[in-house]
Amino acid sequence: MDSTSVAAPRTPRRRFRAPKFTLALPTWAFYVVFFAVPVAFIIVYSFGTKVQGSAGRTDLSPLTLERYRDAFDPTFFTVMRQTMRISITGTLLCLVIGFPVAYFMAVRVPPRWRGVLLGVLIIPFWTNFLIRTIAWKIVLSPVGFFSNWFQDIGLRDSNLQVLNTKAAVQLGVVYNYLPLMIFPLFVTLDRLEPVLREASKDLGAGRIKTFLQVTLPLSAPGVVAGLLLVFIPLSGDYITAAVLGGADGNMAGALVASQFLQAQNQALGSAIAVILMGAIILSISVVAVAALLVRTVIRRARRVDLAEFEPTMAGV
Amino acid sequence: MTARVRRRRVDLVNVGLVVWAVAALVFLYLPIVFVVIYSFTDNRDLTRWGGFTTEWYSRLADNQQLLDTVWNSFRVAIYATPVSVVLGGLAGIALARRPGAWTRGFLVFVFLILVTPEIVDAIGLQVWFVNLADQVSWLGGPLINPSVPVIRNLFPMMIGHVIFSSAVVTLIVRARMAGLDESLEEAAADLYAPPRRAFFQITLPLVFPALLAGGLLSFTFSLDNVIISQFVSRPGSSTFPLYVFGKVRSVLRPDLAAASTLILLATLFALAVVVAVLRRSGDSSTDIAATLTGGA
Repeated sequence: MDSTSVAAPRTPRRRFRAPKFTLALPTWAFYVVFFAVPVAFIIVYSFGTKVQGSAGRTDLSPLTLERYRDAFDPTFFTVMRQTMRISITGTLLCLVIGFPVAYFMAVRVPPRWRGVLLGVLIIPFWTNFLIRTIAWKIVLSPVGFFSNWFQDIGLRDSNLQVLNTKAAVQLGVVYNYLPLMIFPLFVTLDRLEPVLREASKDLGAGRIKTFLQVTLPLSAPGVVAGLLLVFIPLSGDYITAAVLGGADGNMAGALVASQFLQAQNQALGSAIAVILMGAIILSISVVAVAALLVRTVIRRARRVDLAEFEPTMAGV
Repeated sequence: MTARVRRRRVDLVNVGLVVWAVAALVFLYLPIVFVVIYSFTDNRDLTRWGGFTTEWYSRLADNQQLLDTVWNSFRVAIYATPVSVVLGGLAGIALARRPGAWTRGFLVFVFLILVTPEIVDAIGLQVWFVNLADQVSWLGGPLINPSVPVIRNLFPMMIGHVIFSSAVVTLIVRARMAGLDESLEEAAADLYAPPRRAFFQITLPLVFPALLAGGLLSFTFSLDNVIISQFVSRPGSSTFPLYVFGKVRSVLRPDLAAASTLILLATLFALAVVVAVLRRSGDSSTDIAATLTGGA
């Protein structure tokens, strides 16, 4: 077999060999035309000027920074601060709520039941986003079931007043993005071999120590994926806030939307969108740098000097 | 003695985790259960219970505006899904089977698409489909306003949905192909199958479950999408989510809950089919989870 395969090439050599990415070429072209170019246009438009009196026309002949100056008004700062507070709090809440769930499913539940439980978790994620959000209006309604029930059992002496507040927005975003945190965490924790935890136990580590020094560090990729998957879409989301927050539910995304859909000022809307993207990238970078620093410090503190062990290991 | 104590503690941790997980599940299902129950309320205001009735379901057939938007939603989904599956499938197979210098750049692209806030895509596409059509006449034809008879006004929306969906399909297909041994395809080549035949008889069946799951994700994404649709919808092309979103600030009527319940049932049915197919192809629950959540 070996000798023949060297001698006879399997297929006749073609004159032209297609480059490796040929199959991906249509997708690539699609993304350039309908993603990269439109997003690039937004960046260019943010330096433009609205043609006065027109319905959404933008003058690009003198590119100017004026729109960025327009964007930074007091309303903008209030909304931006609220957006970031809700996004960061929401992301952290998702992590705190989601981690034990993912850990339970991946580590404690017998494999036979894992699939069922996972299916049960996936169903809400696959149901309509807007329907799920509007459903909270029924749940939190001042004249609804819970409001009446809370009053019946004496928990409250007036109607439930959660709807159209920041609390409702916070609840809504945690609800909508929680599955995006649980799934990557579950996949990472599920891939950890139980052998690792057993080894840690055999080496004398207790439960808490095993969790803190083995399970938790090894789940880091899942945590990072979950944080990104939740934080980024959450900070651009304004639908949840519009549905549940009422007048209190103004997110940065809504500012962009209203400039485009109502004020017809695409230049200003683009500038706000660029600033929003900048804020997202900045927050992620800050967290990434902080995480790297913490990791470096922990590694320093825990460093095991192999040279010290060399003689003993050789002895074994 | 110590063993006993330790045992108790383990149980406590376990009990805590069970309670926590059950609470999370209740939290996730609470609003969905409420929508289903309240679609039967005998009251014009959705947020108040007023006795049981199936009136809202029978009335759905009379609400032409709502039916039109539901039909539009399904049409966009029907157009966007095959396009996403083909584009994502090709890219995913190429990434897994023809890796090279281009892989990293392409993956960065896919990642950027997935993490860009939807509002940014939405306004970009609005500029593309509305402003450029007027200003750059030579672009107007093929890329912005093609005279494809069946799609017509839904074309921009379809494009917007395909961007996200195809990126997700790409990752799902890549993850599945990476887990499959290439030896089957090599065996086909050794047995003198021409590349095209090897592709259709070996590669495609292997990757089929991923395409199916990706297709379902694309379909539900289209049925679900608000932001992009809002910015590129044209007169007469409003979708169900846009219709619902338009009603949010006024009094919610139970017919919305009834329509939502029906769409929910359709989604559940499709999800069950996909899980059954993945099961048959021998996936573990983790594989299914990774597939259904976009190869995370």
